[in-house]
Amino acid sequence: MNKKVLVIDDEETIRKFIKIQLGKAGYEVKEAADGEQGMVQLKRDRFDVLICDIMMPKKSGWEVLREVRSNPETSEIPVIFLTAKNEDDDMFKGYEQGVTYYITKPFTKSQLLFGLNTIFDKKKNSLY
Amino acid sequence: MEDQNKKKILSLRWTAIIVTSYLIIFGKGKIAHIDLGHLFILVYILSNLLLIFIPQKWFSNLKFFYSLVLIDTGIVSLGMFLSEKVTTDFYLVFFFILIFASMSRNYKLLMIISGVTASLYGILLYSWGLLNSEQGISYIIRIPFIFIMAAFYGYIVQTFSKEKQRQLAISEDKYRGLFENANDGIIILRNSPLQIADVNREVERLTGCEREKLLQKDAMDLFAMSDREKALSFFEEVINKGEGRTDTLSLIRKDGESFEVDLSIKRIDLEDESFFQVIFRDLTEQRKLEKKIRESKRNLEAIFDGIRDQLSIQAPDYRILRVNMAVIGKYHTTFQELIARKCYEAYHQKTLPCEKCPVTMTIETKQPSSSIMKIPEDDSTLRVFSYPILDEKGNLSSVIEYTHDITEEQRLHEQLIQSEKLAGIGILASGIAHEINNPLSGIIGMAETSLEEEDISTIRSYLTDILNCGQRISEIVKGLRSYSRIAKQEEQNLIDMNDVLEESLKMVRLAVKTGEVEVAKNFQPIDKVVANLGEIQQVFTNLITNAFQATDGKGGILTLSTRSLRDSVEVKVSDNGMGIPQKYLSHIFDPFFTTKKTGEGTGLGLNIVYRIVTKYGGTIDVKSKEGLGTTFTLRFPTRRDEA
Repeated sequence: MNKKVLVIDDEETIRKFIKIQLGKAGYEVKEAADGEQGMVQLKRDRFDVLICDIMMPKKSGWEVLREVRSNPETSEIPVIFLTAKNEDDDMFKGYEQGVTYYITKPFTKSQLLFGLNTIFDKKKNSLY
Repeated sequence: MEDQNKKKILSLRWTAIIVTSYLIIFGKGKIAHIDLGHLFILVYILSNLLLIFIPQKWFSNLKFFYSLVLIDTGIVSLGMFLSEKVTTDFYLVFFFILIFASMSRNYKLLMIISGVTASLYGILLYSWGLLNSEQGISYIIRIPFIFIMAAFYGYIVQTFSKEKQRQLAISEDKYRGLFENANDGIIILRNSPLQIADVNREVERLTGCEREKLLQKDAMDLFAMSDREKALSFFEEVINKGEGRTDTLSLIRKDGESFEVDLSIKRIDLEDESFFQVIFRDLTEQRKLEKKIRESKRNLEAIFDGIRDQLSIQAPDYRILRVNMAVIGKYHTTFQELIARKCYEAYHQKTLPCEKCPVTMTIETKQPSSSIMKIPEDDSTLRVFSYPILDEKGNLSSVIEYTHDITEEQRLHEQLIQSEKLAGIGILASGIAHEINNPLSGIIGMAETSLEEEDISTIRSYLTDILNCGQRISEIVKGLRSYSRIAKQEEQNLIDMNDVLEESLKMVRLAVKTGEVEVAKNFQPIDKVVANLGEIQQVFTNLITNAFQATDGKGGILTLSTRSLRDSVEVKVSDNGMGIPQKYLSHIFDPFFTTKKTGEGTGLGLNIVYRIVTKYGGTIDVKSKEGLGTTFTLRFPTRRDEA
């Protein structure tokens, strides 16, 4: 069964790029244009990974992260943050609060796939 | 006065001598009587010639004067008797009566003497056999007559004299009262030896000794041991000069404590004795007061000198009256070198008052003033305050110049502005990174995806995405150019905000779809503001555009209003649109903060507005309620600080 990915980003082109590339890699991709829409999707569906922008209208990536981690049903979902800022402070804060992986904008197809592979390899390892 | 007394007495006597001599010489008496009469006249004339040589001051002596009058009365009476011109002896009797009456101070004695005299007269009459003569009765009557008349005149004289004494006593009481109740201590001293003759109550109070004890003391006992020598030499000086005054001498109290007095002495010469009147005033209270004044003066001076900022007090002609230690320290000088010199000469080596000096302002207006002065000599910046000191009539008596060195403050302030600018650039840079990285991600990602794609129409759609992203980056870069324009010092003019609002409204209507939005204008006549026209236009077009967009066209009302405040003008841009959610209000001026959809706004508009308004020293304030509308209130100062 294909792994399900939810992409939350207000930049339509980025969502489109991720959807095409992950689709080719065998993931099932759903989109949300902001944090609120993302939360609606998360409640409706079960996802294997969440790719989320930080600076977004209505609900920021931080708020999404907090809600995901505080809900027992979603607390174990790996979260990849897409950041345009590339600042160390942001990253440390993110890891402390439960971000699984960081991808800095702008990014390429291989950076995206490497991130996902890292997460799922880790998960695989932890099962053994 | 004394001279006149003598002349009067001498001339009266000459008259009496002439009259008596006439009576004697041309009287009917016998030869023997005439011889005695001639002798009498001679004696009388001689006595008057003798009087000429008697010193004048004797005549002002009452005892001498009265005895002279008494003797003369007797002499004249005797002369008349000897002349036998006046046949009766009754006048002689009358003179006796007068003599007795004049002695009537002791009324009992008068009675006795007049009784004895009356009896003696009776015996004399009897021995002369007059009582048995034909006129016996008239002689007998004379005996009680002498007594009664003496008693009568004696009584009158005594009554007058008693009244006089009473008045004397009243007057004495009055002076005694003045003496006793004086606020100063008064001591009357007898001369040689210096013994205390009288003291008033203040002396008793101050020394703590009773009057009786004081009267037994020597004058020197009153002074504190340490001051006795000084007191003694002072008394000697007074004895020679008649009066004198010292600054202070210490007197001693009963309990041995000494107290300072201000003491003056005057010699008073009476006929028979001279006295010293010593008046002194207790200085204890005055000393306390002086001490308090000294202390408060010292305190004020300590405060004055303790202030580390320079304080200089100038007369209205700029002459320095006083300075504090900070001034002395600053100019490495002394008080003597500064005093009475003009401040601009002494402090700045100038020949005229400094330009923009607040002291000049205060001298002209009598109002406080202040200004910031750059001192090129030592590259310092001073904030100078000046305050008027007015006299009771409201005239300017002097000016306080208070100088606070703000060189360091100014430097820090500039640093702060610089670092704020840097921080602003930092925020901007990170904002730019975010804003550009998003579409850049799209471009890179879609380009990468295109390279993998074979189908030309799919590639075409990807290229459209890439183009959109590229255009958005271009928009952002355009927005950034506004920043560099704010930073530049461009031409500034006096501009009327009302005109600029009208212009901006027109421009926005051309560029943005304004739909059916109603525009309400409430412009009041306002002062002009010095600013760059383009920048103010940018502010208003941004705000008006936002307002139009917020109303979304349907039944919207945009209100533009202006009014004049005390030293600023106020501009309000108000809409009844969707409003800004509470949680965004604190971020709306942040660069790249936007609630608009991606691509619709850069998030730089309000930040640019903010930067421009604050650049002119203005303020911008926002009030908003979701669903009700938003009001931006801008205030521009009409008179900008020189600093």
